[in-house]
Amino acid sequence: MKKLNSSMNLPAYLFLSPALVLMGLFLIIPALMAIYYAFTDYYLLTPDNKQFVGLDNFIEIFKDPIFLQSLKNIVLFVVCVIPIQIGAALGLALLINKNRRGNIFFKIAYFAPVVLSLVVISVLWLYLLNPSEGLINVLLEKVGIEAQPFLSSPKQALYTIVFVSAWQGAGYQMLIFLAGLQNIPSSVYEASKIDGANKWQNFIHITLPLLRPTTLLIMITTFIAAFKLIIQPMVMTQGGPMNSTMTPVYYIYQSGFSDRLIGYSSAMTVVFGIVIGLVTIVQNKLSKGDDGS
Amino acid sequence: MSKPVKRIIEYSFLTLLASIFIFPMIWMIASSMKPEGDIYVDMGTIQSFFPSINPSEWFQTYQALFERFDVLKYVFNSVMYAVIVTAGSIVVNAMAGYAFAKFNFTGKKFLFGLLLSLLIVPMETLIITQFTVAHELGILNTRMAVVLPMLANMLFIYLFRNFFKAVPDEIIESVQLDGANYWTIFWKIILPMSKPAIATVGTLSFIASWNDYLWPLMVLTDTEKFPLQVAITNINSTPPVYTNQVMAILTLSTIPLIIVYIVAQKYLLQGLGGSGTGIK
Repeated sequence: MKKLNSSMNLPAYLFLSPALVLMGLFLIIPALMAIYYAFTDYYLLTPDNKQFVGLDNFIEIFKDPIFLQSLKNIVLFVVCVIPIQIGAALGLALLINKNRRGNIFFKIAYFAPVVLSLVVISVLWLYLLNPSEGLINVLLEKVGIEAQPFLSSPKQALYTIVFVSAWQGAGYQMLIFLAGLQNIPSSVYEASKIDGANKWQNFIHITLPLLRPTTLLIMITTFIAAFKLIIQPMVMTQGGPMNSTMTPVYYIYQSGFSDRLIGYSSAMTVVFGIVIGLVTIVQNKLSKGDDGS
Repeated sequence: MSKPVKRIIEYSFLTLLASIFIFPMIWMIASSMKPEGDIYVDMGTIQSFFPSINPSEWFQTYQALFERFDVLKYVFNSVMYAVIVTAGSIVVNAMAGYAFAKFNFTGKKFLFGLLLSLLIVPMETLIITQFTVAHELGILNTRMAVVLPMLANMLFIYLFRNFFKAVPDEIIESVQLDGANYWTIFWKIILPMSKPAIATVGTLSFIASWNDYLWPLMVLTDTEKFPLQVAITNINSTPPVYTNQVMAILTLSTIPLIIVYIVAQKYLLQGLGGSGTGIK
């Protein structure tokens, strides 16, 4: 076999080539281009005129109130959506982790929104949340609560998107938690029953610690996905009102694609990309350290 | 508290929760199956969750929608993109996974580490320079541009590699002695043995492609080539906008996904985090 090994370079790289070429074209080259353009004043319509401008773009973006607002918004979004969505997912999983008649119906119902695409949920809730004639406000008024502006209020819009996002994603994570719950052997609970522990003590001292790896995995994936929020604000609010739902990825898109300021947009890509990259690394480190203990 | 009372409370609570999760979908389907005026007359009553009392009106919205827009074309486009992305992603990523699992080659460790570390690069922030690359390649406004960036995926390569590692070397060596080359081994031995991995990657790729919105919106200018997701926002902003027609296109675009989720449910959890949908 030794002989064969030495001649394996060519076939190996042939097998790798489609993936390498595609990743090169749509991941590595774009990343390098963004880093390069970030130091230029590249304007899409005058590509031959781009000049090296040093750190100007980086200085400008941190003076740009919309970019700063978008950073503030995304932190607020992440801080709200993580506990709400993961808490809901865990709660639902605990509720249906039981043998009871009709359980499958409840499981399907809680999972249903996952099947809808982000565009579909965004358009659908846009209609449901219409301030004057949407279903939600009509129902609220029926029970005596006054109609809410929801997406048209700078104070409520971001929280509304938090709710819609958590509503859509919780069912998927519920299934992951459910798989985690079913991996806990029932003998553990039986033992604690003999010791006289009640349900709440079981939950705190057995269920939660044993679910830790599952919870961490869900937290990491949700964290990163939430940071890249764009479709919901793009479809529902166009970043408004008063930029209250503008997010970094959406602003990168707007300034690069709509305003054609490639250099300026690239500087935001670099800064925000580094932020997400660091968050990912820190979280991976944390979860690895956790596995060992 | 007596047992039956406890049970009634428990079931009421579960049902209340269930209705929070499914009422938007029911309203969506019901509203697509009634005349525009009825949606607003019914709003807030129990009838808002049921289609028109008159069954002959159930599909009139769909008829009107098909007359105004080339919906069949959008469905065809979405199916075509999803099928090509699914097949392409299985082949491209399985080939790379095979190389990492069964070949010794110069730079293997370095390359594998490099590709894994690229997982932390947030793709979505690179849309602008990805667009510039598509422009340089001269593929803007082509179907190729929609499909190509969705094929190679390090998570899927990793998944295939781990799966292929479990295939015993003896099997490969024995067919090698019979004169089979690597290409034949890949197609005839490796791939047929990897149905679970193929199903997982295939399901996740299909869903990701079906739900893809931002990238096709950027690279396509011809409505002719729009997938359903882009067509939805197009229909929702082409006056006159009718609520029942918008709900009809939302419903139509969801049906294929319901089928995929039912057929492939057991493969969904295996590719954790690899799916293309928002915050899952």
